[in-house]
Amino acid sequence: MKTLIIGEIINNNLSSGTLEILGKAKSLDLDVQVVTVGSDENPSIGLDLCKQTYLKRQNNSLNLSKAATKISEIIKNEEISLILGSSTYMCRDLISFLSVDLNSSPVSNVIDFDVASGNVSTVNSINGGESLYKTKINSGQALLLIRPKAFDPVEVNFNDDFETIDLDGSDLEVFDIFIEEKSGPQLEDSKVVISAGRGMVDKENLELIETLASKLNAAIGGTRAIVDAGWMPYSQQVGQTGKTVKPDVYIACGISGATQHQVGMKDSKFVIAINKDEEAPIFQLADLGIVGDTLSVIPKLNDNI
Amino acid sequence: MKIAVCAKQIPDPANEVTYSNGTIERPEEQVLDDTDRYGIEVALQLKEKFDAEVTIISMGPSGTQKGLQQALQMGADKAVFVDDESLKGANSLMTANVLSELAKSLSADIVIFGTESTDGYSGTVPQQVSRYLDLECISYVKAVEINDNVTLTRQTVEGSEKLNMPEKCVISVTAGGVEPRYPNFKDIMAAKSKPIEQVSISDLTINTTQNLEFIDIETVENSKSGEKIVDEGEAYQEIVNKLKELKVI
Repeated sequence: MKTLIIGEIINNNLSSGTLEILGKAKSLDLDVQVVTVGSDENPSIGLDLCKQTYLKRQNNSLNLSKAATKISEIIKNEEISLILGSSTYMCRDLISFLSVDLNSSPVSNVIDFDVASGNVSTVNSINGGESLYKTKINSGQALLLIRPKAFDPVEVNFNDDFETIDLDGSDLEVFDIFIEEKSGPQLEDSKVVISAGRGMVDKENLELIETLASKLNAAIGGTRAIVDAGWMPYSQQVGQTGKTVKPDVYIACGISGATQHQVGMKDSKFVIAINKDEEAPIFQLADLGIVGDTLSVIPKLNDNI
Repeated sequence: MKIAVCAKQIPDPANEVTYSNGTIERPEEQVLDDTDRYGIEVALQLKEKFDAEVTIISMGPSGTQKGLQQALQMGADKAVFVDDESLKGANSLMTANVLSELAKSLSADIVIFGTESTDGYSGTVPQQVSRYLDLECISYVKAVEINDNVTLTRQTVEGSEKLNMPEKCVISVTAGGVEPRYPNFKDIMAAKSKPIEQVSISDLTINTTQNLEFIDIETVENSKSGEKIVDEGEAYQEIVNKLKELKVI
């Protein structure tokens, strides 16, 4: 099946989400090409295993709708049947625009898909991962938004062999571009993640988490509730609307375990949960559950590690 | 300035979502999706500065209309909705098609959304509506500064960026982007006399089809039934031991 993956660039390289989708597409033996949208000057994104096209945006204007129009053109010219993108801000915008152009509703939050006798079928996780929802796509083109960490990334060698198409800017000028400083272990690739929830009571108590994280070389995450409350930047949110993590050890501190949060962490290998409420749903996911006050347990951990 | 704000009535999120033949079961009484309160708040702040008219647009089973009332209580002027049996289980594109037709019928300059509904969370409808309306989409707005110009801050994968709001566009607002207001008693009473109008689907141009066919819902066993220990002061030791066993320390 002729397949187009919308690629995304992080730190001058293809994002892990793009490589994960490419891994799945290769395992299904799909006839795949990548069209990457970004604004980096000289990214290293040429691929040894399939065609790569770079749609270069200007970062001082919001012109994703123009990128979508270009991708629509490629899809129509090359008779593409399957269009795949990661559930990121950019790909959600692009796939949504394309769905109108192609008059084909997309499927969001896909965790698995298959192609059999010309038909695409998908699996989504619903109710915080308690159930799997299966769909068959009956339109000529299928558009899927795929959750990060759903598949293993492809092994690939990068080169400089790709075509670049410069996109026009739009009238919507973008200014004050701010890049969040990233220091310490990152959520996506850290072997240990410590996450904080409302049970930490106060923003100042996050210092306890920071101390523990530095001892365990862990990345720090948080629930939507504390991100909305302004205790942590959005980039640290774990859950449905935030990041998906899959560390070896996940330590949930004062997190009740709303389905929104579970979606982002339930595939962690070993889960340790500390919560006052014995009935908290997080304990259903925990390999080791401590029923107790996080604010008294963590200081003891910090003193003894 | 005419503003359309999308508001979805959803089953009370305190209850678990249940499905019937692949479609979410909706009780007669549904509530306003909290996600939409952020969009409504932005619309109301624009109304205060620019004397705009704010109309709630909605699609889905209307039932007791409690959710629409809640949107009006916040301060929107009126509501229009489409409720039609043929839209049961509508996919995101069909939903966007209907909502864009409603926005068009109101000659809305600005159309505002939350980023994704709490019950369906496909997270594509705002962008799809912008494409139908041929307007720019300023998605994932996390801060709004209203002076003579309106400056919107967008969340991006690496941080954020700012734009000035054009005269016509579609905006999606993230949770936490603004602080939604709570209606007082006077607002609640005033909402009762605000117009709520049902629009017939036959008055709209809908050209999407149901391309997504429901196959099956399968329950997965998530429960790990791990060890659970009540802390009597020494439970931290269990964690330390486990971290050693897992070779984290």
